[in-house]
Amino acid sequence: MQIKLLMKLTAIFLTMAFLNVSAEGSSQTVTFSGRNVPLKKVFTAIERQTGFVVFYNYDHLEQANPVTISEKDLPLVSFLQKLFRDQPLDFVIKNKTIVITHKSPAPGLPGPQDNDAGQSQPVTGTVTDSSGVPLAGATITLKRTKTFVTANQDGQFTVQANMGDVLVVSFVGFQSREIRIGSAALGRILLKRYVSSLSGVEVRSYNTGYQQIPKERATGAFAIVDNELINRSVSINVLDRLENVTSGVAFNKNIIVNRAYQQINQATIAIRGRSTINSNPNSLVILDNFPYDGDLSTINPNDVESITVLKDAAASSIWGAFSGNGVIVITTKKGKYNQPLKVSVNGNFTIAAKPDLHYQPWMSSADYIEIEQFLYGKGFYNSTLSGNAYSQVSPVVQLLADQTAGTVTADQVTAQLNTYRNQDVRDDVGKYFFRKEDRQQYSVNLSGGDSHDKYYFSGGYDYDLPNLTYNNYKRVTVKGGNVFSLWKQKIEITTDVQFNQSTTTLNNTGSYGTSLPYMKLADANGNALAVPYTYRQTYTDTAGQGKLLDWTYRPLDELRNASNVTLLTDYHINLGLKYRIIKGLEASFLYQYSKGNSDDEVYNSLATWYTRNMINSFSQINWTTGAITRPIPLGGILDKTQNNYESNNVRGLLTYANTFDGGHALTVLAGAEVRKNDAFTSSYRLYGYDPSTTTSFNMDYVDLFTQYTASYSQQIPSNIYNLGTVNNYISYFANAGYTYNERYTITGSARRDESNLFGVNTNQKGVPLWSAGAAWNISHENFYHVDWLPNLKFRLTDGYQGNVNPGVAALTTATYGGANNVYGAQQASISNLPNPTLRWEKVNQVNMAIDFASIHNTISGSIDYYIKKGTDLIAPSPLDPTTGATSFTGNTGDMKAHGLDVTINTINLKGRLKWYTTFLFNYALDEVTVYKANKGSIGIYTGTGFLNPNVGHPLYSLYSFKWAGLDSVGNPRAILDGKTSEDYANIYNSTNFDNLKYDGPINPPIFGSIRNTFTWKQLSFSFLLSYKFGFYFRRPSISYSTLYSTAGGYGGTADYERRWQKPGDELRTIVPSMVYPLDPYRDGFYLNSTALVEKGDYIRLQDLQFSYDLTKKQVTGLPFETVRFYVYANNIGLLWKANHSGIDPDFVPQNAGLTYPNPRSISTGIKLDF
Amino acid sequence: MEKIINRYNYSWLFLLCATLMTASCRKEALLNAKPSTSLVIPSSIQDFQAILDATLTMNVTPSLGEASADNYYLTDTKFQSAQPVVQNTYLWAKDIFGASTNIDDWNYPYEQVFNANVVLEGLAKMQATASNQQDINTLTGYALFYRAYAFFNVAQVFAPPYDSTTASSDLGIPLRLSSDITAPSIRATVKDTYAQIIDDLNRACKLTPTALPTANRNRPSRPAVYACLARVYQSMRAYKEAGAAADSALQLYSSLIDYNTVAVATLPFKNNNAETIFQSNFSSYAQTLIPVIGIAIIDSNLYRSYAANDLRLSLYFRVVSGVPGPRGGYSGSLFTFSGLATDELYLIRAESYARAGQASLAMADLNTLLSKRFTTGTFIPYTATDAADALQQILAERRKELELRGGLRWMDLRRLNKEGYNITLTRVVNGQTYTLPPNSPLYTLPIPPDVITLSGITQNAR
Repeated sequence: MQIKLLMKLTAIFLTMAFLNVSAEGSSQTVTFSGRNVPLKKVFTAIERQTGFVVFYNYDHLEQANPVTISEKDLPLVSFLQKLFRDQPLDFVIKNKTIVITHKSPAPGLPGPQDNDAGQSQPVTGTVTDSSGVPLAGATITLKRTKTFVTANQDGQFTVQANMGDVLVVSFVGFQSREIRIGSAALGRILLKRYVSSLSGVEVRSYNTGYQQIPKERATGAFAIVDNELINRSVSINVLDRLENVTSGVAFNKNIIVNRAYQQINQATIAIRGRSTINSNPNSLVILDNFPYDGDLSTINPNDVESITVLKDAAASSIWGAFSGNGVIVITTKKGKYNQPLKVSVNGNFTIAAKPDLHYQPWMSSADYIEIEQFLYGKGFYNSTLSGNAYSQVSPVVQLLADQTAGTVTADQVTAQLNTYRNQDVRDDVGKYFFRKEDRQQYSVNLSGGDSHDKYYFSGGYDYDLPNLTYNNYKRVTVKGGNVFSLWKQKIEITTDVQFNQSTTTLNNTGSYGTSLPYMKLADANGNALAVPYTYRQTYTDTAGQGKLLDWTYRPLDELRNASNVTLLTDYHINLGLKYRIIKGLEASFLYQYSKGNSDDEVYNSLATWYTRNMINSFSQINWTTGAITRPIPLGGILDKTQNNYESNNVRGLLTYANTFDGGHALTVLAGAEVRKNDAFTSSYRLYGYDPSTTTSFNMDYVDLFTQYTASYSQQIPSNIYNLGTVNNYISYFANAGYTYNERYTITGSARRDESNLFGVNTNQKGVPLWSAGAAWNISHENFYHVDWLPNLKFRLTDGYQGNVNPGVAALTTATYGGANNVYGAQQASISNLPNPTLRWEKVNQVNMAIDFASIHNTISGSIDYYIKKGTDLIAPSPLDPTTGATSFTGNTGDMKAHGLDVTINTINLKGRLKWYTTFLFNYALDEVTVYKANKGSIGIYTGTGFLNPNVGHPLYSLYSFKWAGLDSVGNPRAILDGKTSEDYANIYNSTNFDNLKYDGPINPPIFGSIRNTFTWKQLSFSFLLSYKFGFYFRRPSISYSTLYSTAGGYGGTADYERRWQKPGDELRTIVPSMVYPLDPYRDGFYLNSTALVEKGDYIRLQDLQFSYDLTKKQVTGLPFETVRFYVYANNIGLLWKANHSGIDPDFVPQNAGLTYPNPRSISTGIKLDF
Repeated sequence: MEKIINRYNYSWLFLLCATLMTASCRKEALLNAKPSTSLVIPSSIQDFQAILDATLTMNVTPSLGEASADNYYLTDTKFQSAQPVVQNTYLWAKDIFGASTNIDDWNYPYEQVFNANVVLEGLAKMQATASNQQDINTLTGYALFYRAYAFFNVAQVFAPPYDSTTASSDLGIPLRLSSDITAPSIRATVKDTYAQIIDDLNRACKLTPTALPTANRNRPSRPAVYACLARVYQSMRAYKEAGAAADSALQLYSSLIDYNTVAVATLPFKNNNAETIFQSNFSSYAQTLIPVIGIAIIDSNLYRSYAANDLRLSLYFRVVSGVPGPRGGYSGSLFTFSGLATDELYLIRAESYARAGQASLAMADLNTLLSKRFTTGTFIPYTATDAADALQQILAERRKELELRGGLRWMDLRRLNKEGYNITLTRVVNGQTYTLPPNSPLYTLPIPPDVITLSGITQNAR
């Protein structure tokens, strides 16, 4: 279906392409006839007929006489020559642009009133634009005499003038400059474009959330992702679109969200590496002036105009204590003054393939069964089988036990085992749990404005049927904004309202209830089949003798009966008032109100195993009377969790920006803001819930109830939880930038943040942070004569960023626990030891950079080198346990990092076929320099599920036991204290860190992308290669302990087939032999040894993008201004990887479960502009 | 026109300033707001009670003593699969912990001491009024009890047994009497250690309520203070004082459970059962040392010493595949009970009588207890020929009644060997026999290595 649509679209594109060729070919001639027509009228006719743009100044027209001309199909150049023959004007044609110039006075003729001929001398110079392109036809006027000359094709001119004379250099579409003559060779004279005079040419400026900083005057490190780039890819989430196109921004993969008891505290998005240990690792996100407190997934990417990433201290320190991890500033679209209504409609469909469930090579079902048979023979399951009646065993073990008991024959067993051997649970999982993803995205926006009012309204709708069946996602976004300009543009009032709502149905978590590789989940008719789950089947079949609820677990029914819906509602109201007091001075007041609510409802009906199990577990049967008591009533169980937040942001701001005679430009900004964010989480549970009547039962949460299996007794979980948080911040800030002569810029900023940090004296609640920067546009200097590199700028900044950790306090604090103790009393625990010297974390960053552009921008780019030092980082340090605590969390850690951000843009082809390349190269490596917490044993450091800072290495590093191959009986050997050893427990528990090998960083220190874009007429094609180097991962291998686990552990990897089996195998394999009984430390050693460490390096073809634009100019009668068709293919695949294990380093399989790389997807879309 | 603009300029500036000033007025309120509703600076009676009611911290006791004692044994297979710390403890190795850190047996009691000190200091800062004086007293008594109980439990494992001849020179345990984490840890003498424990208990005695909180048996009370004092004095071999304290406790609370009324179940007793005076358990970590189910096997001689009509056989033990293993005791959970109960008090008082030569009083107490332990109608009261015979019977019954009960067997081994009982423990693992001779320095366990490293206190000689 979708493929058909794709084919149709392609056909349309091709047809349009041919139409366009003929349109272009016929447009180079002019037909015009008229008598005494103003020149302006002729120009309009030329523009209409040729598609060329004519540039002129009004003084040109004043000097010109009306023309009389009559020509038919005359080539453009001939027409123009004829037109200007009797005029004081001339013309230059460049890139479909006709520039009107003054005719040069005849050489050798002295200018009028040139009285001082004796002292005058020829003065030369070259006029270019900021990218070094010569401005042919620029006018150079001698101010004293009003005589002028025109620059030639190379932008060069010679004028007779005296020392000290002032030249006025001007060109259409550019700002005029006055230059005082100091030498006979003026060198290069740069003219800057007018911002509004030339459509399609973007003057870039950076939005810091407080102000727009023109690129030329920036000293800090910024990365900007413009609208074109944001829309290059297709995704629901806007931040996903930054991946691979933003310099200095890493998207970390293989993130372990929360394992065991310890949060590993990784960030998905890391700007310039890492500079905190235990505090917030995430970047600050600003949406239209204020920090965004809502869920980022609710922002509609189609409303986003541009994204600026603030990387160094000078760029981000205006955000003070929140800027330590960098800042992402999202700017949404606004209307424009004096622009008629524009309507833009965008829609796209995405199809993603079904995930490859066989990506992770499992051991075969036959092998797995062989192991179960082996273990059964060894008596491994005896204690489980003979112990309590309910402990779970696998079907194979049950079958073997039945055979021993004589209830089944050997033939029956063989037959059944053969059936199992040929089954792979992934077949059913793939069939019932996974599907192709199907995603749709629609958006429409209206914008425009008159001289007093500009507006932008938009609506968006997303609908996603993700790879997991029974799940879906819907999002509706509405946005409306107005800007009113009042009282001669002295007052500007901004209003903006955004409303986002999404519904997530998460009925399928991807887990299917069994780890046995040979289970079937459905019969031939698609009916759900039971799998062993928690209890033994023979137990659940007979327990309660029919008085209990069905206790069997059928994964497919669980999927079908699941109901887990989250409704996310989020809205923001922005009000702004700006008043221009005098020229350059503005006072503004900004207010934002945000409110969000996430409402999660998990309803486990009586049909679900969860509810049946809860009811059964608490049931008691009086066997004398046969009566059954059910402390948990029959009916569903509803879990409801609500998260609400409300935030108020107020900002008062004074800005002053002005340029003064003599080339001084000054911007000053000062203000204060107050932020208040209140959040409340509450959850509760209802038992015996009936959705049709919304009724439930009162419960006894105090008494202990003996469980049906009689193994223990417990209270009925109430799941009642309430927590409120309040984060208040008051900030004062100021910054200033001063530029002299467009060559030298200095910037500085200072900010103080105060917050309601708990239990701190008021004078310690704040932190002052500052930054300073300087930039030098050396290419603007008179002595600069490197013609091939007309743009060269140096930048240097230094300053402090901060980070917030509301989790620590200065006084002894206690936390009330959510649950009461077993006697029903409230309990509290001491959560924070007294820490009177608690301080805020600080990150110092020095940034050194070069910006450059060669002539015609053939090669342009920037190179930034930075050094970061994080001090006073909140980290634990060990404490004598006799004090009552084992660790003390305070400002005890330090880190440093350095890195390089390189962006290079090249224009490789400029003709009809254009070819651009953007090359991003990033290097970022951090190192823990001070960390006092006890190192413990080396075994702990081999686990990647823990935050294991180790001084001298990156925060996230891979450490391994030293591997010395297999011995002659297949046992793995380690190097312990310089000798080979098989003392696995002592290897694991060793505290000698020489026995631990540092393999390298887990996150790639080198990463980047190469994006090639080709355009040919209205066709555009681009593809993106991404690369990561210098990182390491550990591949999974066979874990016999998991394999042996009685409940039927995860099947293990196909490495089982490569295990040591006979002497001599040690020469060709690293997989240890299977042994019984098991030493878990032996497994642990092998799995965490250097033998399984792989290099992560790779090059990936990330995506392809193709678009075709049709405009009204090309197709007359087209009902739209522009139509864009686009196709975007994502996750195409690896081109090269360093490892030979078939593992995509961004998707490293874990030892259990299903891991798979993001499936390939293709999106097709259409964008209409009216 | 120019003037008008200027006037507006100033009014705008004024407005801006006014906004900022309003903000600064609210500044204090904003900056003093509590960042999380669950967070408190403990300062109220309710806060302090909640800290002391955190049962998973405050009612946990060490278990390495019990793990070192002879109520149980491990098969070779179970020994192999045990953690190194368990193996070392089981075999009375010189070094037990190796590189292991965060040893619960040390850390939990000292966390209790810290919490008790936080509460004591907080209560001392409170403004006493007519309405809260009673609560302040009660909680002060509670905190003193917790501190004494923790000190005592640590001393049973990590300090040498009390010996009045050497106590003033033997190294005891660090006595931390304030919550200041920067104060150094210094080992007090055994004499000072016990003096501190008794002093805390005596102070607690006057402050705690006389009635047992029957709904919250995790909380101390005056009977609990006396019961603890009885145990402390008994460990010091001050039997007269032990008997007097046990008597004082029994005067206030003396309920016994008739085991005929208890149904055999996985967990026959509840955590609020009538005999419990103060509830505490081995830590969950310690469960790996003496797991209730399936791993530890009850010493064969001990198991055989119960008569067939002794109800404790079925209520204390669970036979799986012919091997007797322990149940959960008075905790009502998988955790092993280690708290204070009336049965122990009867035995302490009986022992005190016997040692004072009062055989009949001693046997009366013993029979009061045992009459509740046998199938109805089958119990024949025990008789003793003399006080020495009574003592032997009481000690034998004490071991049977208090098996796997919070390290009491370990405490008994330490004190009785001091009196010449000459009990030698043996273990056989993989055919090799290990022995623990009486009064060996191995009866004092090594202090966890992380504590030694970070505090610099002296390690026990073993």
